[in-house]
Amino acid sequence: METPHIDSTRIAEASRGALERADIERREKVFSVSGLGVSYNGKSALEGVDLEVYRNTVTAFIGPSGCGKSTFIRCFNRMNDLIPGAKVEGTVLYHGADLYGRDVDPVEIRRRIGMVFQKPNPFPKSIYDNIAFGPRVLGMKGDMNERVESALRHAALWDEVKDRLKDGALGLSGGQQQRLCIARALAVEPDVILMDEPASALDPISTTRIEDLMHDLKREYTIVIVTHNMQQAARVADMTAFFSVVVADDGSARRGILVEYDTTAKIFTTPSDKRTEDYVTGRFG
Amino acid sequence: MRIELQAELDGLEAGFQETGEIVFRSVRGVIDALRTQDDELCDEVIAFDDEIDERYMALERQVEMVLARQTPVATDLRVVLAILHNALHLERMGDQCVTIAKLTKLSSHLGTQQAVVEGLVDMGERCAEMVKVALSAFAERDVAVARSLHQLDELVDNANRQVFHEVLGYVNDPEALEWGMRQITVARCFERIGDNAVDIGEQTAFVVTGEFAEFTDASH
Repeated sequence: METPHIDSTRIAEASRGALERADIERREKVFSVSGLGVSYNGKSALEGVDLEVYRNTVTAFIGPSGCGKSTFIRCFNRMNDLIPGAKVEGTVLYHGADLYGRDVDPVEIRRRIGMVFQKPNPFPKSIYDNIAFGPRVLGMKGDMNERVESALRHAALWDEVKDRLKDGALGLSGGQQQRLCIARALAVEPDVILMDEPASALDPISTTRIEDLMHDLKREYTIVIVTHNMQQAARVADMTAFFSVVVADDGSARRGILVEYDTTAKIFTTPSDKRTEDYVTGRFG
Repeated sequence: MRIELQAELDGLEAGFQETGEIVFRSVRGVIDALRTQDDELCDEVIAFDDEIDERYMALERQVEMVLARQTPVATDLRVVLAILHNALHLERMGDQCVTIAKLTKLSSHLGTQQAVVEGLVDMGERCAEMVKVALSAFAERDVAVARSLHQLDELVDNANRQVFHEVLGYVNDPEALEWGMRQITVARCFERIGDNAVDIGEQTAFVVTGEFAEFTDASH
């Protein structure tokens, strides 16, 4: 009988339990955000966010609808640039460099900072071409077959699709399509993967696969995730930021704010702010 | 608002307080049995333990259900964990009462020494008071009152030592010494009930502050 493979690194990680804040803060800062605000056509959607994202961690953004968490994650790869009337204030440093600097090419940013969306959005092409598309457009060198296989392996999809790479991607299940989108993001060798509700349209088994994948991928990448599912944040994230909505006295305007940012263990056991406690215990929002 | 979670938490709290109330009755029963050396009352206390055990098992099942179905976090999670701990402390208190009742019956044919009996009854009264204080501090989430259990426990510990020294005086009277040796165990049982009450107090502090700390270091 074959001896089952035991991943001692993961066991060691699990036995250590949740990472301490000091351990995380010793890591390299991938993003340093200060005084960030976003408005759409002059209406503030998010204000005064200060936060740091650390390398090889999963950072989750949670909060009620309209709190600006999706707006915020889109600041990390300048997706808000594509929305007419959107204005971003404050600074977002990426490895110490201003992400919104004049010389920065948003296309290059989006190569290094990939994004996976709520609804899987594969191209109506073959599985192979979905992965190869990005590297081809970017003129990336090397063996394309190897690149496709590596991306699919990293996204834990290779074994399921290796014999039908020329089949259409739209024939895959929802969970497989989402992993294909993750593989597509990985194929262009990113540094960061942003995930906006990546599992909210998936069944529980596919969700578990995506969550397992996040655990594996964070060894090589930095992951930022927006999720409505608090237990998902509790399961996968090292750091969690809770955003909330502030409504103007006359009820005319709502804007998002960052309430609390700490280790996931702290947020889900002893949050410092009552608003966080009320949200994670389900008494608000 | 998580109505179902809140209802289940309320049910757990009520179940815990009811279990505490019947354990209190058991402690009171065993004090009376000791004071009057009443074998029949001892039998009642022993039989009553089945009800405590059933309550304990029911609380444990309730905790399992809340964790599995409601996945509580933050303060809610601490309340559930504290009740799981406390339920065990209450069950242990019930077991101590059974031991006291059995020892009282076993030694009833030997002549009792009034000074020791009075000392034990005094210990029992203090323990009963501690059980009440522990339950009320938990219900009120009152850390200051919970901490006061430590002072009450020191009085119980002192009484325990006094019983021991009293029994040492029976060294030349074999029958009194045999009886006295059993009463040292009775005193030890009361002392454990006091410790369990302090443990419940520590869980109250854990629920409120989010940090667990023993009120005293047992190694000192």
